[in-house]
Amino acid sequence: MIISNKRLLGTIALALAVPVVPSLAHHSYSMFDMRKTVVLDAEVARFKWQNPHAFIEADVAVAGGGKERWAIEMTSPNNLIQAGWRRTSLRPGDKIKLYVHPLRSGVKGGSYAGVRFPDGSTLGEVE
Amino acid sequence: MVIGTGTSDRRAHRCLFRRLSRRLSLLGAIACAVVHPAVLAQSAPPAQSPPPDGVVAGQGAAYPKGSYAALDQLPDWGGIWFLNRGAPGAAASSPILKGEYRERYETWLAAAREAQGVVTRNRSNCSPPGLPRIMQLAQYPYEFIFAPGRVTINQEAWMQTRTIWTDGRTHQEDPDPTFMGDSIGHWEGDVLVVETLGILDDLEIEAGVFHSPQFKLTERISLSPDNPDVLVNQMRMEDPEAFAEPFEVQVTYSRNRYGVLYEFQCAENDRNPVGEDGHTQFN
Repeated sequence: MIISNKRLLGTIALALAVPVVPSLAHHSYSMFDMRKTVVLDAEVARFKWQNPHAFIEADVAVAGGGKERWAIEMTSPNNLIQAGWRRTSLRPGDKIKLYVHPLRSGVKGGSYAGVRFPDGSTLGEVE
Repeated sequence: MVIGTGTSDRRAHRCLFRRLSRRLSLLGAIACAVVHPAVLAQSAPPAQSPPPDGVVAGQGAAYPKGSYAALDQLPDWGGIWFLNRGAPGAAASSPILKGEYRERYETWLAAAREAQGVVTRNRSNCSPPGLPRIMQLAQYPYEFIFAPGRVTINQEAWMQTRTIWTDGRTHQEDPDPTFMGDSIGHWEGDVLVVETLGILDDLEIEAGVFHSPQFKLTERISLSPDNPDVLVNQMRMEDPEAFAEPFEVQVTYSRNRYGVLYEFQCAENDRNPVGEDGHTQFN
């Protein structure tokens, strides 16, 4: 899939390494392009802490004004706790850098890889 | 608490309740209306099931009293358990299929390759995978509850519950095919040995790999001798119709002692419905 970087203010990185795909989950990960990583400068609209997947909904500014809403699927809360996440880790309005494996379909969504918080700290894969 | 089943007793209770609620007559009417169907349903005792094959009447898991102290002899499986994922790049082994099951897999594989790895699905993502996959989920932990005559495995995934009978009963003669099948277990020292039959044959063992109604799963579950916070599940799968030879795979789980299972309400968060073409959607 192609994400037009003209439309995104966020930088786009393509990871060459094939990441470890979650083996058995709520659904197949084939809808995501797990070989690609997109980096988004995003403002959190909603952080939903729930099974089968936690979710981040975030707004990304687009060139020429306006913004688009991305939906980022994460793993389960219990797995996220293992990785250092909490229900209160993100709040609406937080400005973060999001690393996601984008949907193949081109819809504004993806699978969470990592995050850089406003204070510079990180969780997950941020390469 | 009154356990009487007489309809007149129940009616008396309801009328008393209504009298007490008279000043709040609307509340009383609502309460009685809500209670009423349940009272009717409970007016006759349920039909009594016979003891399962291998269990003498008056014994078994249905009569737990007097057997709780013996549970203390069982190994310490407290806490919750997370599947250990395979090492990155490690080749996953698969059963060697034969006959129509092999053809079915090859057809599935060709279609998946054609679609660059996007696989189709014939059931909702809110439908659990059943055995043996439910014991191999990376994202959702497990807990093991010991009770007299049974081991209960609570699975965070889909909030599934699995019962393993350890009270000496034998397999049902013709179990209804189900997601969890008919699991009969026994303890060999500190090893829980479980044999499961009757797993629905429209469930996948892994993506694209199906089994026949003859499928049999044997699990040997025990704490690792090297690390008491690791639980080992040696799974052996046999299927004379679908497999060329028995297939063995070992999975391990790591303990989080004070962890708890998190609620899982798939229908409340069904952001991944399956479209008519079998592709998972993303909402």
